[in-house]
Amino acid sequence: MTNTTVTLQVHRFAPRPERDRGSSPFARTSSPFGSSGERRRRPRGKQWVQEYTLEARPEDTVLDCLLTIKRTIDPTLAFRYSCGHGMCGSDAASVNGTPTLLCTATLKDWAKPCVPGSATDDEGFRSTGEPGAGTVSATEHSETGGRNLGVIELAALPGFPVQRDLIADIDPMLEQIKKLKPFLQADGVLATTKGGKVDVFEYLQHPDELARYEQLSNCIACGVCEGSCPVFAGGDAFIGPAALISASRFINDSRDSAAQARLDAIDTADGVPACQSVRACTRECPRGIDVGEEMWQIVAKVRER
Amino acid sequence: MSPKHLENMYDAVIVGAGAAGLSAALGLLRSPEVGDMRASGTEPKILVISKLQPLRSHTGSAEGGIAAALGNVEQDDWQWHYYDTVKGGDWLVDQDAAKLLAQYAPETVINLERQGVAFSRTEDGHIAQRRFGGHTRDFGGNAVKRAAYAADRVGHQILHTLWQQCVANGVDFAEEWYVTDLVLDDERSRVAGVVAFDTHAGTLHAVHARNVLLATGGAGRLFHTTSNSWDLTGDGMALALAAGLQLEDAEFVQFHPTGLAHTGILLSEAARAEGGVLRNARGEAFMERYAPGHGDLAARDVVSRSIMAEIDAGRGVVDPKEPNGPKDCVWLDLTGIDAEHMERTLPEVVETIRAYANLDPTRDLVPVKPTAHYTMGGIPITTDGEVYRWEDGRRAVIEGLFAAGECSCVSVHGANRLGGNSLLDACLFGTRAGKAIAARLDAPAAGTDDVDPAVDTAASARKSDLDALLSAQRDNEDNPYRLMADLGIVMEQAAAVRCSEGTLAKAADALDGELASRAAALTAHEHSPAFNQEVTAIWEARHLIMLGKAVLTASDARHESRGSLKRTDYPQRDDEHFLAHSMTDASHTVAWQPVHIVDVEPKKREY
Repeated sequence: MTNTTVTLQVHRFAPRPERDRGSSPFARTSSPFGSSGERRRRPRGKQWVQEYTLEARPEDTVLDCLLTIKRTIDPTLAFRYSCGHGMCGSDAASVNGTPTLLCTATLKDWAKPCVPGSATDDEGFRSTGEPGAGTVSATEHSETGGRNLGVIELAALPGFPVQRDLIADIDPMLEQIKKLKPFLQADGVLATTKGGKVDVFEYLQHPDELARYEQLSNCIACGVCEGSCPVFAGGDAFIGPAALISASRFINDSRDSAAQARLDAIDTADGVPACQSVRACTRECPRGIDVGEEMWQIVAKVRER
Repeated sequence: MSPKHLENMYDAVIVGAGAAGLSAALGLLRSPEVGDMRASGTEPKILVISKLQPLRSHTGSAEGGIAAALGNVEQDDWQWHYYDTVKGGDWLVDQDAAKLLAQYAPETVINLERQGVAFSRTEDGHIAQRRFGGHTRDFGGNAVKRAAYAADRVGHQILHTLWQQCVANGVDFAEEWYVTDLVLDDERSRVAGVVAFDTHAGTLHAVHARNVLLATGGAGRLFHTTSNSWDLTGDGMALALAAGLQLEDAEFVQFHPTGLAHTGILLSEAARAEGGVLRNARGEAFMERYAPGHGDLAARDVVSRSIMAEIDAGRGVVDPKEPNGPKDCVWLDLTGIDAEHMERTLPEVVETIRAYANLDPTRDLVPVKPTAHYTMGGIPITTDGEVYRWEDGRRAVIEGLFAAGECSCVSVHGANRLGGNSLLDACLFGTRAGKAIAARLDAPAAGTDDVDPAVDTAASARKSDLDALLSAQRDNEDNPYRLMADLGIVMEQAAAVRCSEGTLAKAADALDGELASRAAALTAHEHSPAFNQEVTAIWEARHLIMLGKAVLTASDARHESRGSLKRTDYPQRDDEHFLAHSMTDASHTVAWQPVHIVDVEPKKREY
């Protein structure tokens, strides 16, 4: 049925098996430097690039292809996925060096003509310029008989330690989100039903008030903005765009009573001042949030208070 | 994230972190009992185990709304909601449960708002509400605006808000842990704990608990075309079966009428609520013919069957993505909706169509096909979330074992669920189950650390299983992903939307024979247990096959057509023999439990 193919170059990683240290009398002594350093440590294990060529249509997504690989070629390839249509946020990864969701990245948008060499060099940089203009028409060479749509290079989401293949440890992002108290702070009263009627009603909020934070509340915590941010992914001390978007969501919610404390909490050296306004965070946000503009707004709010 | 250390004994272990599991955790933690404990300096030991990271649960994909007779937009009454739920479920609904559902719905929705859900609003600042299929005024009259919504991503809003509240309450999570075994005591009268696989470290743990709540969601992956995420493999239901418990009404699987052609991705019912029209190959708006007066907003099972009838009559269309494929779709026509209004009220629908069908819904007709969406049946529970076995004509409660959400069956959905009632069920009965667990915290057994060795025995048995999976030769030609795909095709051919004795028997043969032996022979292709997704997939595949058999058995036992179950060989509803819940166990014994009729006498269900 399909007469086109695609080639996926997957940067794979297998963790070195944990040594069994249960019997060592020294095993449970904690490091004098605390446990936090352990997380940032570069994971040790085996790294290699594996190439898979398979039949696929231009409108298929990268996730479709990876699932086909699991089913028909290599069941050991590891990657997170769940809803498959951009709502759960589990499958952020690096596609041709750009952080995005595997389930929304289509081959026609991302496959590029086969060229020798890797898209990124050893340091993780890639050549700039027009990426693969006119790639849809693709090339005619392929050993499998079909027309090859090109190559897509996949790696784990940048900025986070890789755990296996395309699976990255995004707990640092969730920890940073949690640090900024990501929950509505209001009177805390909940309704109960008595005699078939509720004793308390909803907080009132005009549609215009909702509009001030509604899009921010659509964040799915996928980490694409974090992986795109040269400050965050570069390893500098920065709480990251995702946590700031979460803080901003509550600062802009008319029901929330903790705006001042929230602004104080992000006015730290690793908070908004660490943002360099590169705005790379905006480009691939799957929820269409203009993360960079929001950073700009929140910086202004912090300054004005 | 994994817990820093495992407790020797937990007060409660909650399996699943979607709307039901998180609601239960919050219901428990906010209870007066926990308040008292904390006041006396004791922190309850609670662990939420989820096979996914937080915020990935499928609750987040729910689009359309959560039903409650708030009356914010037009007059409404919880009694009408109650009636609609009973009628929508084709009278297989336990009415005491449905009454609670409707009565406590406003409280549930208001509390979601008060915890932070960004509901859409009316001009005067109240929660906005829209029409949804089957929700009416005056006991079956005109459609009423009852579904509270947040654009078309209310599930995302609810999931994130509940997680945020769990963060505020300091809930301990074991993330990307997969529960492999539910362990009861020898008499199957009391829960002892679970065995869980930490997928990061690749290690198995015996988790002892005085209370366990299963909230693992549905089982859409039984079928090839499904709106469900890849993770909905019916784990909780299979755990219950494996532990010797029953499933209630397992034969009732709802097919949502408007999956986006062969992708199965859901296009919310909101699309029809906002004016979308189903059309056949001739362009005819056929729903008015099948459901006069209700048309495109008839109940989901009615619409799904009508679509299949059109396809069977040769009036289906092909998925334009596969021009040479079968004519197994119909058109969803959204072109009559004002483009600007569509972008505002149906952003996810529009985006899904653009991204996954490459079509412009303001101009193009969109191909749709019924897609496996919701399991009405599940682990039988009381209205306080207690799991029971139906034995000798009575409910024998398993002490300390609870369930909530889609994996459970309190029987508010009966034979067919109304849109907007699933989030409500999960949040409302999840909260109730959490409160019921709280009430057990000061039970006589509480405070003692008398661990049941059965959990450790189960953990070592599972360890042997794991070792065998990992140590096998890597040249196994088969793998669980292929097996699950094949199972989905078998189940779809046998039981999607309609079935008969013949189709069910054929599928049962396949499951018992080829698929079962393939499942038993599965091994992992990678020896290291850390982040070894194939190991989890093998257990999921085995769970699905066990569950699939129960679905086929229950479907075969019910010699009538009711709600989502269409038996072509028994086309009529038969209240005389089957106004009862099927109770199916892993040995394929089916017992029957009478339906709780309280207020609404069964009558013909017409839309």
